[in-house]
Amino acid sequence: MSHLLEKTKESRAFYSFLGLIILVIICSLTSSDFSKIENYITIFRQASVLLVLSAGLTAVLILGGIDLSVGATAALVGCTCALLLKAGVPTWAVITIGLCMGAVIGTLNGFLVSIIRLPAFVATYATNWIVKGLAIVIMNGQIIFNLPESFTFIGTGYLFGQMPVLIVIALVVVSICYVLYQKTTIGRDIFSCGSNLEAARYSGIRVKRAQFVAFIMSSMFAGLAGLLMTARLNAAEASMGDSYGLNTVAAVVIGGTSMLGGEGGIIGTMIGSIMLMLITNIMNLLGISSFAQPMIIGLVIIVMVFFDSISRDERKTVRRGVAIPMNVQKRKDDIG
Amino acid sequence: MKTGETILSVKGITKLFPGVVALDHVDFDLRVGEVHILVGENGAGKSTLSKCILGAYVPEQGTITLNGTKKSFKSPRDALKEGITAVYQEFTLIPYLSVAQNIFLNREYRKKNGLLDINRMEKESRELLKLINCEHLNVSSHAKDLTIAEQQMVEIAKALSFHPQIIIFDEPTATLSEREVGSLFEQIRKLRASGIGIIYISHKIQEFTQIGDRISVFRDGRKIATFGIHEKSTEEIVNMMVGRNISQVYQRNPNLYSGESLRVEGLCDYKEKVKHADLVVNKGEIVGLAGLVGAGRTELANLIFGIDRRKAGKVYLYGEEVLGKITPGKMVRRHIGFVCEDRKSKGLALKDSVAWNITAVSLRQLFPHGLIRYKKIKNVAESYRERLKIAVPTVQRPCKFLSGGNQQKVVLAKWLSAHVDILILDEPTRGIDMGAKMEIYELMNQLSLEGKSILLISSELPELIGMSDRIYVVHEGRIVHECKRGSAEFNAEDIGAMMLNVYQDAEGKAEWDE
Repeated sequence: MSHLLEKTKESRAFYSFLGLIILVIICSLTSSDFSKIENYITIFRQASVLLVLSAGLTAVLILGGIDLSVGATAALVGCTCALLLKAGVPTWAVITIGLCMGAVIGTLNGFLVSIIRLPAFVATYATNWIVKGLAIVIMNGQIIFNLPESFTFIGTGYLFGQMPVLIVIALVVVSICYVLYQKTTIGRDIFSCGSNLEAARYSGIRVKRAQFVAFIMSSMFAGLAGLLMTARLNAAEASMGDSYGLNTVAAVVIGGTSMLGGEGGIIGTMIGSIMLMLITNIMNLLGISSFAQPMIIGLVIIVMVFFDSISRDERKTVRRGVAIPMNVQKRKDDIG
Repeated sequence: MKTGETILSVKGITKLFPGVVALDHVDFDLRVGEVHILVGENGAGKSTLSKCILGAYVPEQGTITLNGTKKSFKSPRDALKEGITAVYQEFTLIPYLSVAQNIFLNREYRKKNGLLDINRMEKESRELLKLINCEHLNVSSHAKDLTIAEQQMVEIAKALSFHPQIIIFDEPTATLSEREVGSLFEQIRKLRASGIGIIYISHKIQEFTQIGDRISVFRDGRKIATFGIHEKSTEEIVNMMVGRNISQVYQRNPNLYSGESLRVEGLCDYKEKVKHADLVVNKGEIVGLAGLVGAGRTELANLIFGIDRRKAGKVYLYGEEVLGKITPGKMVRRHIGFVCEDRKSKGLALKDSVAWNITAVSLRQLFPHGLIRYKKIKNVAESYRERLKIAVPTVQRPCKFLSGGNQQKVVLAKWLSAHVDILILDEPTRGIDMGAKMEIYELMNQLSLEGKSILLISSELPELIGMSDRIYVVHEGRIVHECKRGSAEFNAEDIGAMMLNVYQDAEGKAEWDE
């Protein structure tokens, strides 16, 4: 048991989790409406979309890259699928097409970064505009709504009576990503590339493959998120990814994944997404003007990332403290 | 202050790094108008001492006394205020700034309107350069357009602009030609005559009598002795540095295996660094690659391992040609390992744990189905920690907290755990202490006894000669000589001459004429 505790402490998500608990306590004290079950479900529902949108992005950040095109990808996939559904294409086929579109965009990003060797920031920023532009072109300014119920079920339906489908999907995504990132050799390759790309290359790790996998996952999960958004709103429009903006990156980083690569995980991203949504939620409950909210979110992000970096520094100092006395002792004995 | 008076005195300085005592109660003194040489192997503590004096490191114990008053420097800025400055081996000039701007970097003169006063900086730069007979340098040209020797002169001018009492030279001649070394020494003598105390760190024993007044020898973080330059012979100095006889260090058993493992034919690269290299490594053999820095040895290894693309040539493994594009991944799957020169930037993922690093290459062998089990990783890492005596309390510790020698052992363990049959070692003992070095030599011998082949690149000739069965000498991208252990030319002097491509003897001459 103590071993398990030790392991949890080592994990960076542990500190994000502590932050989350503190946040929940503060929120419960400030608003009586907060602690209601329905409110929690609302928060989780909102966090689910953000989480799925950031799930693959987590892999890209672990790799040491960045993907700025997730929001646009979600919008394009959502819009295309809405159009297809209106044209009478069956739901299962639409979902498959949506995921494949994501994979294609991810392949493009992977190609630009690993073969053409553009910096990920520039490459995905460009893809972001291309994909967004495509969405605008195909939508031609209109908003599509009234989608078939078989489709909106994934955004608004319930399983087992009480459980929103959206949350179930998010949990499945988390499980898949957890196994993929933490328990497979390809996941480990992504970590290795993020820790030290040159060392990974010199170790015979297939770096390009790892880069492709990360970018494809990022765009595929973004595509899935696009489907979820559309289903949840029962509507699609070209700018629907915009509201997520860089919230995706914020969710990943608040969850303890390093922007420098090599560290992090999906559990942290899950906590980060919930935290971000929780803050919006409590601000609404407290009646803070929506004009003031972005400012507060900005401040909160700074505070959370700051605490995360402090907690990491602390652990380092503790380790150093142990290392030195032991060896000095040994040396002194040798000298006699 | 008069020549011969003590300007700087260091007492009982101790500096600890994680896992290693870098300086162990070191005493040291520097007199006005002397050149005091610090000598020792890599990791012996000479650079650490100079960094403590410069304020770059804060020692855990001990005192630094300058001109009779105790000082405790918290940063290089503090030391600079007291007139202590340094000229480093690797240059710190900014390539796209002018000479004058480099000299006055970070303390630029400004005009009243806040803009840079370039005229004043250039004028003072010219005066400083004149002090060291370099008035021919154009103070407005970019630093990148200067030769290495000229850049070094600018560094010295920069050092002089601080009106120093003490200048530390850290291996200043490492990248200079002989003529340039001559003029550098002339400048150093002039500085010495002007009453500046000079600390001079060097590996080149032949320089000592030319430039030094006193020598301090360091080993394993301790100062062994300080003496006048003419008091001890070169051999005595070397013995003090190494601390044991060379013959005990290198152990080689005769090779019991036969048959070739690696063959390279006519390998060329696109950068013209490797030109038609042919070589053979047999089973159970250690083959050395000798050559000057920049001769193309690392580039050759990079080609064989597929880091760089080859322009022409073939690579055979156990008689079978490696077809198609050579990539590190392909070579790893064929059980070839490459311990590269720069372990920090290319050998290890420093922030990852020892366990992850050890299993970085063997991961796919350990888990062919792609699903990882942490326990197995930990067990594998533990077994190599024991086998290679890696000094780390737990394999979960990140590699950045390990000493150089232990880091190198982790790199070796990474390849051993992948069961490589052919291992390319590029400077495997650079910057690590003597104990770890000997363990690595022992390991190399052991591997060859198991029938594994080693291609060893090293700039330390004694190491090459001590460990290799055969040595190829590389000069300007070509393999110019091959010597076998036991032959007459298998000695440091002859191989050194071959490295410079000036070697000629009866046989060599005959070959040359062909």
